[in-house]
Amino acid sequence: MITILDYEINNLGSVAKAVKHLGFEAQCRRDLQGASKLIVPGVGAFGAAMEKLMPMRDEIRAFAASGKPVLGICLGMQLLFDSSEELGEFEGLGLLPGRVRYLPPAPGLKIPNIGWRSLAYRRSDGLGNGAIDGEQVYFVHSLYADPVDPSDVTATATHGIQFTATIQRGNVWGAQFHPEKSGAVGLRMLSKFLAC
Amino acid sequence: MLILPAIDLRGGYCVRLSQGDYARETIYDSDPVRVALDFEVQGGQFLHVVDLDGAKSGIPENLDAVRAIVRAVRMKVEVGGGVRSLESARALLDVGVARVVVGSKLVHDPELAHLLFTELGDRVVAGIDARDGKVAVSGWTETSSIDAVDLAEKMVSAGCRRIILTDIERDGMLTGPNLEFLEKVSAAVNIPIIQSGGIGSLDHIRQVAGSTAEGVIVGRALYEGKFLLHEAIAAVPA
Repeated sequence: MITILDYEINNLGSVAKAVKHLGFEAQCRRDLQGASKLIVPGVGAFGAAMEKLMPMRDEIRAFAASGKPVLGICLGMQLLFDSSEELGEFEGLGLLPGRVRYLPPAPGLKIPNIGWRSLAYRRSDGLGNGAIDGEQVYFVHSLYADPVDPSDVTATATHGIQFTATIQRGNVWGAQFHPEKSGAVGLRMLSKFLAC
Repeated sequence: MLILPAIDLRGGYCVRLSQGDYARETIYDSDPVRVALDFEVQGGQFLHVVDLDGAKSGIPENLDAVRAIVRAVRMKVEVGGGVRSLESARALLDVGVARVVVGSKLVHDPELAHLLFTELGDRVVAGIDARDGKVAVSGWTETSSIDAVDLAEKMVSAGCRRIILTDIERDGMLTGPNLEFLEKVSAAVNIPIIQSGGIGSLDHIRQVAGSTAEGVIVGRALYEGKFLLHEAIAAVPA
């Protein structure tokens, strides 16, 4: 069963609807019981989210270590990394080597980065399967993930700097944007994960 | 959440209608540029402009006023009302408008919808205006038999990137947003939706911030002094 992780502060509804729309069954749960695939959605601040997730941290790590697929969306993707500098210093789930940093401010650059942005793909597997360079997806974020291993990055977008839009390291996948708000392109990506 | 202050233009003036009724007009300012600058000073980032003359006649009628606003402010400006062709959309974008809102024409012309979304991407927004869940057209003077949810789904299939959803019964009434309707449409489509209509207090703003809406359009409440734009911006997380 596909599990959408419910840790009280996230936007489960729209992700669950998108999964259902694609013809897959999913359960929203506060644990990983019966999970064969895990989706970690998320909105809000890193520290507050990790506080809720901490009791489940070991369980999530063991789940990922067993090779079962994990997809983090938006803040959910950021939580998969080692650490974040958002509103302090916080430790993440540590499934992806790297750190979450603030988008550097620049004159005329609006932060948070909200809106449809073009993707530049680096890989054609995983979320990049069937992708077309330049297609747009919907972002809402102020921080970005800075992975240790650049080959984990499967697509980038640009907002002042070029940043990680999608990532995949083995069975651990992530999207900085909201596939569940990104029309047909988002649904296609979500379907790649659900079918993997 | 994005808070978009609204300017409705009629004959070059900044006006408001109640429930879209052209006979129930209040003129707030003869100079829309002054109004736009005031919103900008208060921290506004995106201005929502409606060309009421254009909405009725089917072609943009307040282009001079729109141009004057765009030249005066740094915030982004979206304009709707009378945009019923690719040419009209381009004319507005050429003036410096960030995006155009296309409404009633999309209902009856799926080919144009597809062309607009393909050519202009996220620079065109589908304005879905509904009365009792049914789509209203032609400056809201007519209600069709088309269901707003069905139209939203069709728009997304045509490549639509963003919807502005207006409940006409609430528009200009200050009685609160129809979030039930918003969530109904939101559940059917996976693109961002901006809520419009009914905002009369900071509590209403907070209610929308707790919904799935990307943003909210505020009009009459600002003109009637129910709250100030900067208060609304401060009331919710960015």
